[in-house]
Amino acid sequence: MKTIIEKLKNPRFQFILFGIVLAAIPNLANVGLLKTSHITIIGGTLIYAIAALGLNILLGFSGLITLGTAGFMGLATYISAYVTINMKLPFEVALLLAVLIPTLIGILVGLVSLKMEGMYLAIATLCVSEILKKTFEELDMFTNGFSGKQAGFPVLFGSLQLDRTTTYYLIVFVLVLIMLITYNMINGQLGRALNAMRGSEAAAQAMGINLLKYRLVAFALATIFASIAGVLYVHFIRFSYPTTWNLKLSLDFLAMIIIGGLRSIFGTVLGAFIVFAVPDLFLKQIPFLNQISYVFNGVLIILVVMFYPNGVIYIGHDIKGWKEKFKKRGQKNE
Amino acid sequence: MGIFLQVLLRSLETGSIYALAALGIIIVYRTSNTVNFAQGAIGMFNAYVVTFFFSKFGFPLWVAIITGVISAMIMGLLIDILIIRHTKKVSAVAKQIVTLGLMMVLLGVVPLLFGVDPMRLPKLIENGDIKLLGASISYNGSFNIVFGLAIMASLFYILQKTKWGLAVRTTASNEYTAKLMGVPTKTVTMGAWAVAGVLGVLAGTMVAPMTSVTLNLMDGIQIDALIACVLGGFQTFYGPVLGAYIIGISRNLLLYYVSSIWGEQILYILILVFLVFRPHGLIGKKIVKKV
Amino acid sequence: MNEEMIMPKGVVLKLENLSIAFGGLKAVDNLSFDIRENEIFGLIGPNGAGKTTAFNCITQFYKPTSGNIYFRDKDNKFQNLLFHEVHDIIKLGIVRTFQNVELIRELSILDNVLIGAHIDFKASILEQALKLPKAVKEEKDLREEAISILRTLGIEERKDMLVAGQPYGILKKVELARTLMCRPKLIILDEPAAGLNDIETSQLTKMIRKIRDEFKCSVLLVEHDMRLVMDVCDRICAISFGKFLAIGTAVEIQQNKDVQAAYLGNDGDE
Repeated sequence: MKTIIEKLKNPRFQFILFGIVLAAIPNLANVGLLKTSHITIIGGTLIYAIAALGLNILLGFSGLITLGTAGFMGLATYISAYVTINMKLPFEVALLLAVLIPTLIGILVGLVSLKMEGMYLAIATLCVSEILKKTFEELDMFTNGFSGKQAGFPVLFGSLQLDRTTTYYLIVFVLVLIMLITYNMINGQLGRALNAMRGSEAAAQAMGINLLKYRLVAFALATIFASIAGVLYVHFIRFSYPTTWNLKLSLDFLAMIIIGGLRSIFGTVLGAFIVFAVPDLFLKQIPFLNQISYVFNGVLIILVVMFYPNGVIYIGHDIKGWKEKFKKRGQKNE
Repeated sequence: MGIFLQVLLRSLETGSIYALAALGIIIVYRTSNTVNFAQGAIGMFNAYVVTFFFSKFGFPLWVAIITGVISAMIMGLLIDILIIRHTKKVSAVAKQIVTLGLMMVLLGVVPLLFGVDPMRLPKLIENGDIKLLGASISYNGSFNIVFGLAIMASLFYILQKTKWGLAVRTTASNEYTAKLMGVPTKTVTMGAWAVAGVLGVLAGTMVAPMTSVTLNLMDGIQIDALIACVLGGFQTFYGPVLGAYIIGISRNLLLYYVSSIWGEQILYILILVFLVFRPHGLIGKKIVKKV
Repeated sequence: MNEEMIMPKGVVLKLENLSIAFGGLKAVDNLSFDIRENEIFGLIGPNGAGKTTAFNCITQFYKPTSGNIYFRDKDNKFQNLLFHEVHDIIKLGIVRTFQNVELIRELSILDNVLIGAHIDFKASILEQALKLPKAVKEEKDLREEAISILRTLGIEERKDMLVAGQPYGILKKVELARTLMCRPKLIILDEPAAGLNDIETSQLTKMIRKIRDEFKCSVLLVEHDMRLVMDVCDRICAISFGKFLAIGTAVEIQQNKDVQAAYLGNDGDE
């Protein structure tokens, strides 16, 4: 019994358990407890969580603020859609190209932005994202412009055609994999180097950390995650519009990790649910609240930042603290 | 030469609009240390107020504009008092997220209050052109340019020559020290948000006649105002204004003379290249950390 | 080559006519001194004398305007530090502490010390991401080494506590632990006594000697606290306005007239 509890405390085990719970959700739809549209929303949320994890590596751990996540994710959607639909190449090739090309650009951005900090860096990355967005709008031949680009559910290994439910399983699988990999990286030498880079550049350099190298690594990882999210997006939602990849979406990603908890892996997923799924899943169901779901979400974001600036994931700590206080007070009264 | 002047004059008009928005962002940034991503949304909301009072209630245009200005001031004050003031202990990035939340609230409230149909706001001066050296610019356009410059000139005058301006500059330089010296920093931040709101509604009212009043009215302006601040540097008040005019003029020149499809992307790429060499903007200064 | 002439046996660091100017101001002016193996060497001078600038030049945080800095590295090879980047200096065997204690507040004490072992990790990022055996073993071994260093400094029980909120004295020890992870040849201590009381300062004196003896390294001490410097240093170099004043033992420095005038006050007490 004890070893099970010990196992439960191990985050890696928690991630896998979480994945199993998520994978069970489509079964709830089969039983009628959830609609299939809910599966789409949850799947979308998980996809956004993947991109947000990449952003957490960049901002939470490395201290580099970027507003470019939307543009890179969008670029990956168009590349993957084009490669599978127009070039009729296998899904795996599309995945490779859709991750490789944006990542090279992402590394270039990291290189070019070496001397920029804070808001300058943020808005420089916004510039890049806007360049990409305008290119999506104009480059008809490749992106279909404002009409949107279509794609289909993935076909794995050349012959295994997925449908909505199995694509959802793929998303869950990729998310858990990424959570595990992120956890491994963050708790080892890489994570410490990134934290050092964020906490004190002078100390990091004195300890042998090459700032340029790790900055590029951080940008690369963030872009890789965003690109993977993009590929999953376009093959799950099955179309991509240029207007989606805008400043508001990049800000939404930022909100996910700030609200959920900077530097927290579960926090990021939680944040994705709060920013994206809560309005669509719950608020839109209540007739009156349907109209004001956006307003509600905005108010929620403001309140969370005002009262939980470290992220909702730390409510756990607060609850523990209150329990301690109650215990102490109870003991005093005796 | 005529065409060039034409493009230039039109650019001055768009430059003015960007400049007003950029000024709104930098004033809030330097006093509350927050980049207001909701600047555009606030301007859009109050542009709706103006349009509403004009078309639904039949107010004369200039009265409707004044109503919008008052609404913008009240909104700015409320935002500071209810929200921003309580985020002092929050990290800089988190403060930005608060403005995102604000943006969402406004985007959600506008359809509820004003409906979902696009509305039209007419120009202040409907007809008439000025002919200048072979180019022409509408009365309205020249009014916008002059009015914009006048607003900015008066703000800069207040900033540099009056006691209130000194209070703003002191708070912008170091809020804590300013408080210790007796500067009413709370009033300064409140006033900054109010002024930013007004600048936003003025920019919105100027741009609305060129398209229609919708939720996306200020989207492009928001982004270009932010880029203007980075181009001009966050360290001064006049830097972003300069950046805004540069962006307005360069954009139109590029779109007209180089490529109407890729003009904007080229502009952004040029700005990025510029930032590589001057990562703190035109008028930025680097603060070296001592170890 | 002329190596033997420039760096005779027993010398581990040599500054030769080191100068650096910021704008028109010469912060360090033609400074030369050498540090020997296993020596505890003090660099003193009034505020603004250029001590911090001088050793920021040694660590290549600043690039000097002129002069040379020679070092006999961990592998006993002759090096000119000017040809190295700031993040490569630790690989040669030079580490430093910071006056403002530059630790990462959100990490634990143990993790902060492990940052000092950054260059000892050979597993690639991919190997770390996939938790391959090579990465796992490295992490385990270096963790044990870090814990034993914390034990030597007497703060092992705090290893999992976050740096944020720890008392200042503890933080200074953590920084020291961090420098010891890479088995350095030369440790530069930047005002290690700053903010410490008398008892802590005398503990520090013992600690510095212990480190020198156990780790067989040299120590360069940049300091204001005269008691510590005179107590623990084998030799001392005094500078003022970036220029060399005098070099010698504690007694010799105390009796040097130029030093007294510039730093210790004309009546020569202290």
